[in-house]
Amino acid sequence: MKKISLKKLDLNCYVETLQNDLDVILIPYKDKNNYYISYVTRFGSDINTFVPAGLKKYIKISNGTAHFLEHKMFEQKDGVDPFTFFSESGTGANAFTSFDSTQYICYGTKELEKNLKFLLKFVNSPYFTDDNVEKEKGIIKEEIKMQEDVPEWILDTKLREGLYNVHPRRISIAGSCEDIDGITKEELYKCYNTFYQPNNMFLVVAGNFSETAIMDIIRKSLEKKKNTQSSIKYKKVKEPLEVASKDIELSLNLKIPKIALGYKMQESLFQTKNKFELDLYLYMFASLLFGPASNFKERVRNNNLMTNFYYEWETVNGYKTLIILAETENPELFIDEVEKELKNIKIIEEDIERIKKVWISNEVKTVDSIENIVSNIVYDQIKYNKLIDNKVDIINSLNKKKLDTIVSKMNFTNRTKVILLPNKIITKES
Amino acid sequence: MEYIVKNFGSYKLHMIKTKKFRTIKVRVSFRNQIKKDEITMRNILVNVLTYSSKNYQTKKDLIIESQNLYDASLYIGNSRYGNYINTDINMTILHDKYSEDGNYKKSLSFLKEIIYNPNVSNNKFTEDALNVVKKNALTSLEGLKEDTMYYSIIKLYEVMDENSPLSYRMCGYKEDLDKINTSNLYSYYKNMINKDLMDIFVVGDIDFDQTEELIRENFELKTFKKKRISYYLDEVKPRSKRLLAKEKDDNSQSKLVMGCRVFGLSSYERNYPLTLYNIILGVGSDSKLFQEVREANSLCYAISSVINKLDNTLIIRAGVDKSNVRKTIDLSNTQMTLMKKGKFSEEDIDKAKEFYSTSLDSMVESQDNIIDFYFMMDILGLDDLETRRKKMQEVTKSEIIKVAKKVKMDTIYCLEGVKE
Repeated sequence: MKKISLKKLDLNCYVETLQNDLDVILIPYKDKNNYYISYVTRFGSDINTFVPAGLKKYIKISNGTAHFLEHKMFEQKDGVDPFTFFSESGTGANAFTSFDSTQYICYGTKELEKNLKFLLKFVNSPYFTDDNVEKEKGIIKEEIKMQEDVPEWILDTKLREGLYNVHPRRISIAGSCEDIDGITKEELYKCYNTFYQPNNMFLVVAGNFSETAIMDIIRKSLEKKKNTQSSIKYKKVKEPLEVASKDIELSLNLKIPKIALGYKMQESLFQTKNKFELDLYLYMFASLLFGPASNFKERVRNNNLMTNFYYEWETVNGYKTLIILAETENPELFIDEVEKELKNIKIIEEDIERIKKVWISNEVKTVDSIENIVSNIVYDQIKYNKLIDNKVDIINSLNKKKLDTIVSKMNFTNRTKVILLPNKIITKES
Repeated sequence: MEYIVKNFGSYKLHMIKTKKFRTIKVRVSFRNQIKKDEITMRNILVNVLTYSSKNYQTKKDLIIESQNLYDASLYIGNSRYGNYINTDINMTILHDKYSEDGNYKKSLSFLKEIIYNPNVSNNKFTEDALNVVKKNALTSLEGLKEDTMYYSIIKLYEVMDENSPLSYRMCGYKEDLDKINTSNLYSYYKNMINKDLMDIFVVGDIDFDQTEELIRENFELKTFKKKRISYYLDEVKPRSKRLLAKEKDDNSQSKLVMGCRVFGLSSYERNYPLTLYNIILGVGSDSKLFQEVREANSLCYAISSVINKLDNTLIIRAGVDKSNVRKTIDLSNTQMTLMKKGKFSEEDIDKAKEFYSTSLDSMVESQDNIIDFYFMMDILGLDDLETRRKKMQEVTKSEIIKVAKKVKMDTIYCLEGVKE
């Protein structure tokens, strides 16, 4: 077990790679009542073609399988419902599937050791039958329909359909109602046996505990868990640079138009080795141009050009995409404003220094919440495959010169534009 | 955690010292009796106050200043507590130890600037700020129906009792927007500042004397008479025959909201057995509703119940296919009937008690929850932490059954998703 100090944050982590290659990160706090555990597999909806453990040929799984599998992990052969088990000590539990991972979490204030052991046990004990797989379909279909009624979800999904030609990122995480109809228990077992293996997973625990005692429990709980294979074979997706569709327009049951813009560019343009640092520069650029204190934001706000606004950078298969989402009554005018900004980039040193102050403050604030610190560490593990112990120093080192170089490499010509407009269906009240 | 409250006559200062956080959270609360036609005005006011101030004439300037103060982020919102409308102005300040000497002091002056030094001349707010804020409000009011669950809950309450504060839309009303101008908004602001009940909460690793001095320096002391109306809405008897209201909408899923009246409870019953009743019925994945409607019948992805003690209501919410609406209502009703008949186990009660005690234990890990806790304790005279823990442990099954008999389904609202 190795101690790693998160510099300038007054916090220590303890890390160990178990004999079966599972990475464990513990974050003990002295002054907390609660704990938060996240057990993660690097299997999300981005993976759909691979060679299953023990087999030789590639298979393509149904869309939405990773999410379906997450639901079904809560089924246990001995009939013990994990939710019931956790609730006996007032403990909460949940799970999430994203594009690149599936997380199982539990959080509470009591029985940390017992609940940790149980979490490790139930995520390592699949029990799928034809009946229990069938039963879940009704539940997941309602989850999918719930999402499909949310305009922001449609906007997001349509944008990714437009940005990516063949990469699974163009498909929603849960798949469609038709997709999940085809999912079988055999398919779930193949995914489980391939991806829910120690060398493809990691565990993060934060709370008030002794790191040696907790690490001991983890070692003992998982000593019998062996890997089914040494590495996983994935089919490499050849995603072209050019976006799949440039313009998508839909009319829907909504009141205020919504737009999404995605600017897709090659990651190799930036020639930066440190991926975390590159992301910070990309976000610094976006904050300066579109953040709350930007001239752009002031202008569109004062001209009532938008009500909701959001931006992010997405990394997929060697591409970086700047994504902008907004709710606006005047889509064309708003898009013109964005384009104008991207054509006339002005970076002021003083603004960089101020944003750095905000980011450092956020790093400190994150430490106050064990849920947030675990989420951040999980995010870094998935995205950068490491624990970053000097974030404050890296933020402090950001400078205008390097930012200027990175910005000069950016290319905003390869764009997908999505516009959602209100349709004219008249609803009846009774 | 040490708690000190000082009553300065015009406001109460609540100071909570805890070393758990690297930030200091400050909340300034104003509240008064709710009036339907003032909700929109109040929503506009809080947005105008955070749009600009005398010394920071644009939103951009205001944000730059808050970023310079190590992201002294501000959030502000209105909510209804029974018969009252409440405005919270919150600021999270990075402790001097993690920022620089004087950051706490400077941040409090900035908070004062926002509340007491608005962008006003000749007793009027500026036209520019008001126009932007009003236009934004109009757009979001027009988009109200896009959040189908929120919309359904609003409609349920309106059908349930259109004259009671229960039905007031906290997002405001389009027709009231036009009546707001720079001068009546300023009068409303003056009225709020001078006449509302006011509390200030400060939670973090603070020095009591320094905090008291800083707060007194920044927040005006004026004397005024405090109103004394109850926070609790008057109890209303459930209707003898359940009312069902429906509306069709072009969505895939139907949103179903079942509104229940809670009638004839003592204050003890409301704070203790009712809480356990609700946890067993519809809180979390182990609840009766979740297990029956989702797990046993695969009818929905999410179903839950929530109580509002000040309003004497309990609502059950679910998203289902339109063909399953009737079945979901029946299954929910059956679960409520089973609880009345005592068909739940001692284990169910123990689990609900554990859930409650975990939420008390976790409360101290969040500054917002700490403030909410002391706020409710103060305004409603609720028991302190240890008393609550002890009393909840002692609640019996027969007490929960007694409460179950006083919860009755009254009105059902369904936003029927008719999209094929």
